[in-house]
Amino acid sequence: MRALALLLALLPAMPVLAQNARAELACRFTGTDFVYDCVIRLTRAGQPLSGAQVIVGADMPSMPMAHNIAPVKATPGRRPGDYEARLDLEMTGEWAIKLRLSGPLRDQLVLHYEFDEQGARPAKRRERR
Amino acid sequence: MDDFTLGVLTNIGLFSFLALSAYLLLLAGEMSFGQQAFFGVGAYAGGVLTALYSVPLPLAALAAMLLGALAALLVGLPTLRLKGLYFAMATLAAAEIARLLFELLRFQRSIDGELAGPDGTQGFRGIRWVFEHGVEAADFLLLIYGLLAFVLTVLLAVERSRLGATLRSIGEDPELAASLGVDVDRFKLGVAACAGALAALGGVLFAHHNTYIEPRNFDIMLGVHSLAYALIGGLGTALGPLLGVALDIGLLEGSRLFGGTRMIVFGGLVAVLLIVRPRGLLDEQLVHRFTSRTLRRR
Repeated sequence: MRALALLLALLPAMPVLAQNARAELACRFTGTDFVYDCVIRLTRAGQPLSGAQVIVGADMPSMPMAHNIAPVKATPGRRPGDYEARLDLEMTGEWAIKLRLSGPLRDQLVLHYEFDEQGARPAKRRERR
Repeated sequence: MDDFTLGVLTNIGLFSFLALSAYLLLLAGEMSFGQQAFFGVGAYAGGVLTALYSVPLPLAALAAMLLGALAALLVGLPTLRLKGLYFAMATLAAAEIARLLFELLRFQRSIDGELAGPDGTQGFRGIRWVFEHGVEAADFLLLIYGLLAFVLTVLLAVERSRLGATLRSIGEDPELAASLGVDVDRFKLGVAACAGALAALGGVLFAHHNTYIEPRNFDIMLGVHSLAYALIGGLGTALGPLLGVALDIGLLEGSRLFGGTRMIVFGGLVAVLLIVRPRGLLDEQLVHRFTSRTLRRR
């Protein structure tokens, strides 16, 4: 019944308008297999976004619901808008990093990064025409 | 509830729609490796409607289900003439065609000064309806399981009805069913459409849970898993596919017991189960034994 009530309540719901956040990721390989120390830089309207609670998860794009890591809570970093998290991935390769934000705004950002022994860099996609 | 448990339960719920979709076709005697295509159709259609046209999620879900059913009819019309392995291969090919079409799909509009919409291999970002409307993760989980409970109730009711008996008779022996006056082709098309709609519903929910989708999300692995879940769980009851999903996602993935080697364990589990219990854990015999014992007690 609660699910039905929720479904009906969703029909006329008005959007909570907010400017979207942006994120960048910098990860360093720790030397332990598939473990990376990452710094997430959050901005909103060009300004650092501080005070957010950030939960970091990761999915493999080819099986997003079946291959993922346990989400970890990021801690505030050294600079405003920076957040730090240690990711323990299952393997190298491309991962979709999910940032679930709460606090000043509720949102979820998905970033695609290629992980290897050097660290992480944004994944490049081949265009199909 | 912590984020990890919430994530695992959400994934079990989302996968269940796909597993039930594969299960429906298995009941009709057809093994489809292509249900992920309709999951993708639902995800893209629902995402476009809510993110680009601000359509409320429930209406977008209904429209996506309709589109999923239509797409399944379109695939079913030529492929359901085929039998067994040929049908399985044809559905796999159709799903790969769909995935390639998703890679070609570019349909973007400027929303609040930002481009949004499907962008080929770059994927489709910003399906934010759930976040923009303040729906909490626990509430979304409740919505998923509420819809799943509704679908299960309908399926369990159908299984006990004459319609369910007809469906199983087609799956067991289509020639015999046809000789008894059942329009097998039309029946199978109807089942394919329902299975398509069910997969599409799962896709809409997946897209809105994830906020991002891309063509690779809907590749063959998803189809193989959905079929495996139905086969592991069993074909005796609609609860079977849910058991299959819970075993893999809940037990193997959720417990992290096998880490990166989980897929090897999962593959082995499928192989062993198909040898020991070819119709799955909750097969027809077990369900029949259980229901007759329950009826005797009454």
